[in-house]
Order: sequence, then structure tokens, then C-alpha cells
Amino acid sequence: MLEDALEHLVKGIVEHPDDVSVKDRVGKRGRTLEVHVNQEDLGKVIGRNGRTAKALRTVVSALGGRSVRVDLIDDTRD
Amino acid sequence: MTETKNAGSHLEEEGEIAADYLEGLLDIADLDGDIDMDVENDRAAVSIAGGNLSVLVGKEGEVLDALQELTRLAVHAVTGERSRLMLDIDGFRAQRRSELVVTAGRAAEEVKASGVAFSMEPMNPFERKVVHDAIAALTTMGLKTESEGEEPNRHVVILPA
Repeated sequence: MLEDALEHLVKGIVEHPDDVSVKDRVGKRGRTLEVHVNQEDLGKVIGRNGRTAKALRTVVSALGGRSVRVDLIDDTRD
Repeated sequence: MTETKNAGSHLEEEGEIAADYLEGLLDIADLDGDIDMDVENDRAAVSIAGGNLSVLVGKEGEVLDALQELTRLAVHAVTGERSRLMLDIDGFRAQRRSELVVTAGRAAEEVKASGVAFSMEPMNPFERKVVHDAIAALTTMGLKTESEGEEPNRHVVILPA
């Protein structure tokens, strides 16, 4: 559910929603949701002073992912 | 597209985009909520009522603020224009607004009586606007307000007449 919610939130705010994917990774240091976006949208999902990234993390945390990391990653795919 | 529309229907469109975005989130998170759209003070106003949505409000409304921020960006992504949309969940902002109006009224009386400026506690932009508006509405008192300081300590100062 968490990765679907995060994917929905990110897809709605970017210019290239089809390029958005969220990968759920569990490692030694816990669970990480990797948000992959088009390179052109990276600035959008980070936001001024990281404001948008912080908002995404706040909502994910509220939805039950208190200990889940959210990483934003740009994919250059052309 | 927008230039052929008047401001009112433009704000209604903002509300619809916002409602779609939030509806999608509620569905995924399996949360029940009724979404209501309105236009207030030249802004789109979207509220979600569900009774069990405190998780989306968070401590001191921090999750609500985050959702409002994301919803504004979602509107911007579709319209290409900055949105000043207000989001409320389970009446959190409405409740906070009425508390602040009472607090601001008490502080105004104190300033009127003492003639000394009074600094309110630090508040977010929504809360500061409520206080500015509340003091401005007390026209017979003739008090002025200013915002001072930098976030997160930015606060309203009530100045004597």
C-alpha cells in the first residue's frame, strides 16, 4: 500500500508520470522506498529547500511507514 | 484554455483536480472520506470529512500541511498555474481558526489596555493570516499587525494604535 500511495502522490505532481516508479527495498538498515522519476522532474519532487521531498516523507510516515526511508532517484532513460 | 474561463470556474477546476488527487490517495490507503469542494475568498477550498482521518492531520496539522502542499503541486501540474488552494481535514483548520480568533481577540484587548506591542507565538502562514484578519476585523480598536522573524519562528506582532 505504501509504495502505491507514494507512486500516486508523485505521479500527480510531475510532468512525466509514466516515468515514475517506486521500488520497495529491504536491506540491513531497514526498508527503503526508492522513487524513480524522469531527470526533468527531479527538481520538482525535491522542491525548494527540499520542501516537496519533506512533504512526501511526512505523508508516507503518517500512512504507517514511520521507519521507512524515501529516496528520490532520477532515471536518465533515453 | 484558462483565459477563456472566468476566475470562479478556474477555481472550481482547481477543486476538481485536487479532489481527484486526494480521492486516489484515500482509495489506496483504504481510508473513508467525503470530499467537498468550494470557493472561499478567491481560493479553492477542499475539505475531507471522514471522522477517522486524524492520521492525515497529524501532530499540529503537519500531515495536513504536507498534503495541502502536494495537492497544490498536483493542481499546478495540470493547470500550469500556482495554486493557493486550502485543504481541511475533519475540520482541523476550522477548529484552529476559531481558537485563534479568540486568542487574537484577547491579545488585542491587552494591547489596547496597555498600549504595548504584543508578540504572538510562532505560527504557520495560515495561522498568521487568521490572526491578521481577526485583528483587522476589530476596526473600532484601530490596532495594526505585522509579521516578524524568520520561519519557523515567524510570528505576528500586534501594535497599539
